[in-house]
Amino acid sequence: MKITLTPSKRLACAAGMSVVLILPSQASAHYIPAEGEPVQVHGTVMTTWRSASPVDEYEFWQIPGTSMGGDAWPVSQGVSLDEVSVMAAKRLDQNTFVKLGVSTHDGSDGHQSVGIEHASLGFVCCDSKGPWVVEAGRMTAAFSPELLAHRSASEFTEPSLIADVFFGRHFHDQGLRVWLHETAGWSAGAEIWQGKAFPATDGSDGGAWDAFARYSFSVGSVDANIGAWHYRAQATSRADHRYGGGHQHTPVAALGEVATIFPDVRYTGDVDLTGVHAGSSVRIGAESTLGIKGAWAQLNMEGVLHDSGSREADIVADQYAVWLQPYLTLHNHTVSLRAERLVADNTLTGAAAATLGEGAGLLSEDGHTPERFSLSWLYQWRPQIEFRAEYISDQTLPEEQDRFAVGVVWQGSLLSGHAGH
Amino acid sequence: MIRSVFAVFRINVTGLFALVAATLFLSGCQTESQTLVDDAGARESAFDWRVPASVPLPYEPDDNPMTEEKFQLGRHLFYDARLSVNGEISCASCHEQARAFSDGQQHPSGATGEVHPRNSQSLTNAAYFNNLTWGNPALATIEQQVMLPLFGESPIEHGINEDNFEQILMSIQADETYLRLYAEAFPEQDEPLLGELAWDNSVKAIASFVRGMTSFDSAFDRGEMSDAAKRGEALFNSERLECFHCHDGYNFSDATIDRGVTFLEPLFHNTGLYNIDGMGAYPDPNTGRHEVTGNPDHMGQFRTPSLRNVAVTAPYNHDGSVPTLEGVIRNYAAGGRVIASGEHAGDGRMNPLKDGVLVSFQITDAEVDDLVAFLESLTDDAFLTDPRFSDPWR
Repeated sequence: MKITLTPSKRLACAAGMSVVLILPSQASAHYIPAEGEPVQVHGTVMTTWRSASPVDEYEFWQIPGTSMGGDAWPVSQGVSLDEVSVMAAKRLDQNTFVKLGVSTHDGSDGHQSVGIEHASLGFVCCDSKGPWVVEAGRMTAAFSPELLAHRSASEFTEPSLIADVFFGRHFHDQGLRVWLHETAGWSAGAEIWQGKAFPATDGSDGGAWDAFARYSFSVGSVDANIGAWHYRAQATSRADHRYGGGHQHTPVAALGEVATIFPDVRYTGDVDLTGVHAGSSVRIGAESTLGIKGAWAQLNMEGVLHDSGSREADIVADQYAVWLQPYLTLHNHTVSLRAERLVADNTLTGAAAATLGEGAGLLSEDGHTPERFSLSWLYQWRPQIEFRAEYISDQTLPEEQDRFAVGVVWQGSLLSGHAGH
Repeated sequence: MIRSVFAVFRINVTGLFALVAATLFLSGCQTESQTLVDDAGARESAFDWRVPASVPLPYEPDDNPMTEEKFQLGRHLFYDARLSVNGEISCASCHEQARAFSDGQQHPSGATGEVHPRNSQSLTNAAYFNNLTWGNPALATIEQQVMLPLFGESPIEHGINEDNFEQILMSIQADETYLRLYAEAFPEQDEPLLGELAWDNSVKAIASFVRGMTSFDSAFDRGEMSDAAKRGEALFNSERLECFHCHDGYNFSDATIDRGVTFLEPLFHNTGLYNIDGMGAYPDPNTGRHEVTGNPDHMGQFRTPSLRNVAVTAPYNHDGSVPTLEGVIRNYAAGGRVIASGEHAGDGRMNPLKDGVLVSFQITDAEVDDLVAFLESLTDDAFLTDPRFSDPWR
């Protein structure tokens, strides 16, 4: 797939590394096909073996103090097909383009479903690739780099806590986006969403919108980017659709095992999220790059928890998550460290506060603040094939766990004559 | 090696986090996770409810808050046969502690020998029901319910009426024990055993005793279930059997209400036990919710009983017409009960008013045994023998 080059990506290419390192999936999710290009079809396959899952088979993955949902399933022990995706894009004429994309999404018991991530029509004004772009349809959100990347384009096999906890891992929704597209290092715009993506709900009392701006620049051998965004969602009777949200049943456990019914606690209210992100890298040789990047996001929830038994409790939640990631690239090898921390400050009020807080996972464990530390090594064996190994020290749950992962990623062009990444 | 390198990284990054945390702290942000829970007094009570922290407390009526003194007075009245027309019937006559305050009979008999059309219900966790009795959606408090067996005429249970209530009251007033208990239970009153106030106080005290009958100490609660019971629990919660849809929550009944619940629509279910006219009719006078509302759609609808201590409360269903738990399970497995002959003959499976969740399912004999084992694991033996609930006159 042809890539819209930003200064940061040019530097990355020059260093011989994967171009997806700095702001990875902008390349695919928000790629604008050029005029006269043939249809571009890009595919990705990612598979990983992991030594453990953070939760047992019949447990629910709820990081204490948070309200999770969407597609934030726990990684599973053993071999899993983390991702299969196909993305196609075509320039229709001087100003318009279309994008279609499907991808697998994780599900319970390791089962996956295929979902449409992109089905959008875009309009470019006033030059071949901007600066102004209007897109409508089903799209990946552009406001946060956390949401742009599939796991195959990340240095880590597990999404960040910001992505998993605050956005349910993925963000694909029907909406409208108006933005200034990568002009003089700047991208900025606004999006309005139907509300089908966590943490919003759709319907007359649902929906979401966001605004964002980011800037990339280079000074000598140093490349940097910085950005900020704000997202606001309304939710009505929002369920954790990983385990609840519909006809409730306890999963049938194996002999001798006990499975419990998921407490289907709903949330109605507002969700505000504000985030900043930044990254910087410096060339320290012909084929070496040293860099660091990070992100911080603040979540505010103010609403009501409720369940089918007419229980209600008011909730005010102030939570933030932060990650910091230094990395070093030497030739075809990249070593990255990522440290994450999530702090929840929740207040639940009402006679059913304790019951609903426990059911929703919003009760923090005394003396426990979720953290996770990850170390990864990537080896770009061939232009389209990458091997990866990872060590994770997971302290997001009260019981700490160390786990390992090894995997392989293939991504490349399926139809076009153009090479992949 | 990896862990050592990682440990150094973690220390450095943790230090950086600490710096960031200190900055955030100075700027007023929380640096460690915490959740503050203000339950608005939901766990506050002058009464020791003896329920685990995981179970919400039940409501207490504003005009009859729970006290230990009223509970103890109510316990004495509950076991006192003087509260009947012939001095032979007490509440405990139909509500025996060893049977989780049911009586083991299909139909209980009142003081005059009149047979009650309904089976005596267990009083286990009666405080948690949003309506009392088998099928009356209007009967929402235990105080209201207590009036029926004491003063009701259809059927006659205790048989207290205008002709005998003064004589019965005099026998109570003459008892030194009661003089003390009433004074302790109602210290704000000068004459708690005088006239109509005495009956009002008596009803409140009996209701307090019944309300205090909480039971949450079974093998299920303690996590001490047998393997058979665990298998039965999985069946109970399975897609196939659907039991938990009506018998849900900590009290195993969808009619459960507690202080965390703002409002609960009264729920009643027709389980296909009868179909005597092919149109869904149940035999009179046991037509359930229909008896009160007169709505034909409510024919055969009864409130979901709790399954706590269910193994000691046979026989089952509203009319005690099913002798065993296995029989109940097999009726559900068939999707209703078929009565081949007699005045109640009919195919309950085809009852047009049957609740939609009641569909037939396949179940093996071994699975029935497992399910029964699970139901038996809900028996709270301590509750059945606790001296706190026993006859104080013995």
